[in-house]
Amino acid sequence: MRSLPEADSGVPDIRSPLHYLWWTARRQTLPLLMGIGFAILWMLVQALMPAVLGKGIDAVTAKDTEGLLLWSGVLLGLGLIQALSGIMRHRMAVYNWLAAAYRTVQLTSKHAAKLGATLPKRLSTGEVVSVGNSDIAHIGNAMDILLRGTGSVLAIVAVTVILISASLPLGLLVLFGVPIMAAAVGPLLRPLHRRQQAQRELSGELSTRAADIVAGLRVLRGIGGEQVFADRYRSGSQRLRQAGVRVSVVESVLEGAQIVLPGLLIAIVTGIGATFAVAGDIPTGQLVSFYLYAVFLIGPMRTLTEAADKLTKGHVAAGRVIGILSIEPEVTGGTGTSEGGVLRDSYSGVTLQPGMLTAVAAAEPDDAIVIADRLGRYADGDVTFGTVELRTLPIEEVRSRILVADNGARLFNGRLRDELDVRGKATDEEVRRALHAACATDIVEALPDGLDAEVAEAGREFSGGQQQRLRLARALLADPEVLILVEPTSAVDAHSEARIAERLAEARAGRTTMICTTSPLVLDRVDHVMYVADGRVLAEGTHRQLLDSSPEYAATVTRGED
Amino acid sequence: MAREILPVADRKQVRAYARRLTLKYPRALATALALHGLAAVAGLVVPWQLGRLVEDIQHGTPVNVAVVAAAIGVFLLLQGVLTRYAVLASAKLGEKVLAELREEFVDRVLGLPLSTVERAGSGDLITRTSRDVDALSRTVRHAVPETLIAVVTFTITIGALLLVSPLIMLPMLVAGPMIAISTRWYLRRARDGYLRENAAYADMTEGLAETVEGARAVEALGLRERRRLRTDRDIARSYAAERYTLRLRTTWYPAVELGYVIPVVAALLVGGLFYTNSWVELDQVTTATLYAQQLIDPLDRFLMWIDELQVGAASMARLLGVANVPDDRSATTARPAGELLEATDVRYAYREGRDVLHGVSLTVRPGERLAMVGPSGAGKSTLGRLLAGIHGPRTGSVTVGGAPLVELPLDALRGHVALVTQEHHVFKGTLRDNLLIARPDAPDPAVLKALEAVDALDWVQGLPSGLDTEVGSGGLAVPPAQAQQLALARLVLADPHTLVLDEATSLIDPRAARHLERSLAAVLEGRTVIAIAHRLYTAHDADRVAVVEDGRISELGAHEDLVAEGGSYAALWRSWHGTPTATPS
Repeated sequence: MRSLPEADSGVPDIRSPLHYLWWTARRQTLPLLMGIGFAILWMLVQALMPAVLGKGIDAVTAKDTEGLLLWSGVLLGLGLIQALSGIMRHRMAVYNWLAAAYRTVQLTSKHAAKLGATLPKRLSTGEVVSVGNSDIAHIGNAMDILLRGTGSVLAIVAVTVILISASLPLGLLVLFGVPIMAAAVGPLLRPLHRRQQAQRELSGELSTRAADIVAGLRVLRGIGGEQVFADRYRSGSQRLRQAGVRVSVVESVLEGAQIVLPGLLIAIVTGIGATFAVAGDIPTGQLVSFYLYAVFLIGPMRTLTEAADKLTKGHVAAGRVIGILSIEPEVTGGTGTSEGGVLRDSYSGVTLQPGMLTAVAAAEPDDAIVIADRLGRYADGDVTFGTVELRTLPIEEVRSRILVADNGARLFNGRLRDELDVRGKATDEEVRRALHAACATDIVEALPDGLDAEVAEAGREFSGGQQQRLRLARALLADPEVLILVEPTSAVDAHSEARIAERLAEARAGRTTMICTTSPLVLDRVDHVMYVADGRVLAEGTHRQLLDSSPEYAATVTRGED
Repeated sequence: MAREILPVADRKQVRAYARRLTLKYPRALATALALHGLAAVAGLVVPWQLGRLVEDIQHGTPVNVAVVAAAIGVFLLLQGVLTRYAVLASAKLGEKVLAELREEFVDRVLGLPLSTVERAGSGDLITRTSRDVDALSRTVRHAVPETLIAVVTFTITIGALLLVSPLIMLPMLVAGPMIAISTRWYLRRARDGYLRENAAYADMTEGLAETVEGARAVEALGLRERRRLRTDRDIARSYAAERYTLRLRTTWYPAVELGYVIPVVAALLVGGLFYTNSWVELDQVTTATLYAQQLIDPLDRFLMWIDELQVGAASMARLLGVANVPDDRSATTARPAGELLEATDVRYAYREGRDVLHGVSLTVRPGERLAMVGPSGAGKSTLGRLLAGIHGPRTGSVTVGGAPLVELPLDALRGHVALVTQEHHVFKGTLRDNLLIARPDAPDPAVLKALEAVDALDWVQGLPSGLDTEVGSGGLAVPPAQAQQLALARLVLADPHTLVLDEATSLIDPRAARHLERSLAAVLEGRTVIAIAHRLYTAHDADRVAVVEDGRISELGAHEDLVAEGGSYAALWRSWHGTPTATPS
């Protein structure tokens, strides 16, 4: 078994869900074939056991000690082979399951990273969560069942052949009886799945409700209302209980049917066998074999039902996966180069002079975001960088030279220092300086492990203001040629905001920086301010100049104060 | 940041609780077990009949094949019907117990001490409510009934074997030690192995979710390669964990599977030899061999589910652990006389030896509006929580009308002081549900009035279903600003005497926020308001301003006085207001 993960996850075939599953299987042909081989051996050995046991009983009946020793030995040998082939089959099954699931994780993760900003626009969170939660497992299951499924088919064939050689009608009975028995439970499956679906939905709803209570617990503890929530949870919990009982009403019938239906087969096969035995056509031992064959067939029959279910689910899961893999990035780049210089958005007129700290104060906050997205090439626009059109540059280059840092950019889980220094080349001194500039030193100092602390849950353990300051430190450490900060201090207190504004100029000295903000504490400390209304620059100058010359600007930044 | 503050119950507690649960409904349990037992007995009749059949044919006794086949069919039908009702009965019992388990847990969560909730963060609790409740559900729904059925069936089959022939059963026992020893070896290692495996798998899927959710940040910050490495590392860790448990199974499975075959071989061989010596009859040998074969299924079920029981027990330990959090308040009979809120020489530390408040004293007069300003980490929020009675001070006292806040029962406390933070959680439900939390009986006009006071009436009336709009997870996404307005409207409805607002308007557009604060002030006329301010106009509009720096109140007084004094508040104000001045740093 090769070690996982594979270094190269390959280029998937995303023409259809079946193509994807087939491609996945092809990527692991050898382990799959080996697994199927062991599964067949394992099932065939089990299919042979009733015959051997029958021979043993015959030897007992005949008081043939030599024969008894022989067949007991064979039975033990078969048991040994079954145990060994069983574990090998299991090992290969696990390997194939993991290989397929891991590969899907690699592909989805890689593609998500490639899509970047396009992804959130094209995909709901629910679809994404489903990939991680269940789809990779379903794809793994689809590979796993190929092993046992093939083994089961061959075992049924083998038993049929054995029975036909003993008696044609008996063999035909099994040949047609088994699929009919397997299909007979079919009508139960639909209501079962419907009720299970209802149960899953209620269960999901209930855990959402519980998570909701936990997430809002601090709010509740602030003003009360616990009883209301306890009662609501209780009624949801009781509904789930009812749904669970409704599932088991059908499920228990299915359980019973899976005893009664094969039981019918067992009774008929044993009856026919008994007729032969009474007539002396077969030895009594073979009668026992017939009975055991019928009992044995229950296993492979269930496996076939399981296979149908797992392959269907795998197909649906593969469909969702290729749904993600077939999304193409919305924004593409060219092959041009730029010396850098002035970055200008011609629609709004926002112009960033190299090396300057520019602020964009927009009457409508969304306008600033739209402009930032165009300047950072997250949206198409007429933007020039130096003397060339921004759209002609390779997208990778744009991303590494122009960084748009917005408040939606999450912190990733990991060691805090690594998550701040995303380019991985900052010195301790640089990290210290960035934290200082972002007024985030106290956050790190309060952590028991300081910079070595692990960020968990997207940094949700930090308050909103703390997350914002850490994000700012991260953006500063990335040290891009052009840094565009969207509302970087919106959740920070006035004291810290003033300090950050002060230190930002120093931290970005000589580099091009734009800040989208309406805070006078920040605007007062930048080199140049552009006032944007209706998507276009209406006035520009220093904060003081604009306060005097533009009443609209003054109204925007002094927050309607009288 | 993993802050393990919530305790985990010990083994003894878990056992005692499981025993209590199991025996809580003795009649339902007895019924389920009896039905399973009868089903097992019905299933044992067929091999016995077969044994008789073999014997009769061998001796040339005339047999009515049709009757025998019909009897086999009837008993299997009986087994099927009994199994149906047995499964249903145990499922009903399981669902009932499960519902009680999760409801008790949520009650415990809702009763957690305020300070623990504040400190523990939501991560650990969310894991417990989601993953642990799910794991326990799986255990109660599947593992518990499966193992119970297996034990019942196994015991009855052994009993039947004894009835058929204790002599033949004897040699079968050699498989016992083989299965027992290998299983013991396996179970000792399995639980940790599977816990590690599940954790590594969860890390991997969470890593995937992180990449997808943060896709824009991945692109912006150039994290593509780093995410790829992270994915590969997660996969490698998951694979290593999977390999470990696979190794355990590679030893254990063949051992037990061989253990299953040995009794069959032993029954056949030894039974055959005994028969040759005429110690037993032919039907005994046949039936015993078939019973030995029939032992495999319950034994296998039992062994396959037993480690799931361990996982369920681990989850249960974490769910029960929540009850082990000691209560942090001890209600006494002290009752406030008046509404004067007073903090005297208050010190507080989140971690021992690191006080964040150093002897703060503050008197807030009834009806006063006090603003607290100061840099992050100075202790504003901590002081706010002490004034709201969330935490008790390490030394010193916080009293309302002379009664210490931590000695008031929760309900009484909230009638006096309520806290709203910047945390803007919207509960799943309708808007009305969200507003009625603190006063479930408030009529619609009062609700609308509260919304008007926080400037949110227009927004609510603009929604298609108004107050009946579904919000929160799965419903309409409420923007942060409106969420804060809802939180404040809730507070208006709750109408306590004293309100502590910790940056309660920080997410609202600055201009709108000021308007809101003024209209709120009109509604709250006569109430005491302590506002931890994020923007300076809040301070400007307040009766008094407290500047908190380094865990102390460094300046305290009316806005004009502080500006006139020319301290750090004055410097900040001038800078914010656009008057040239030396900047604070």
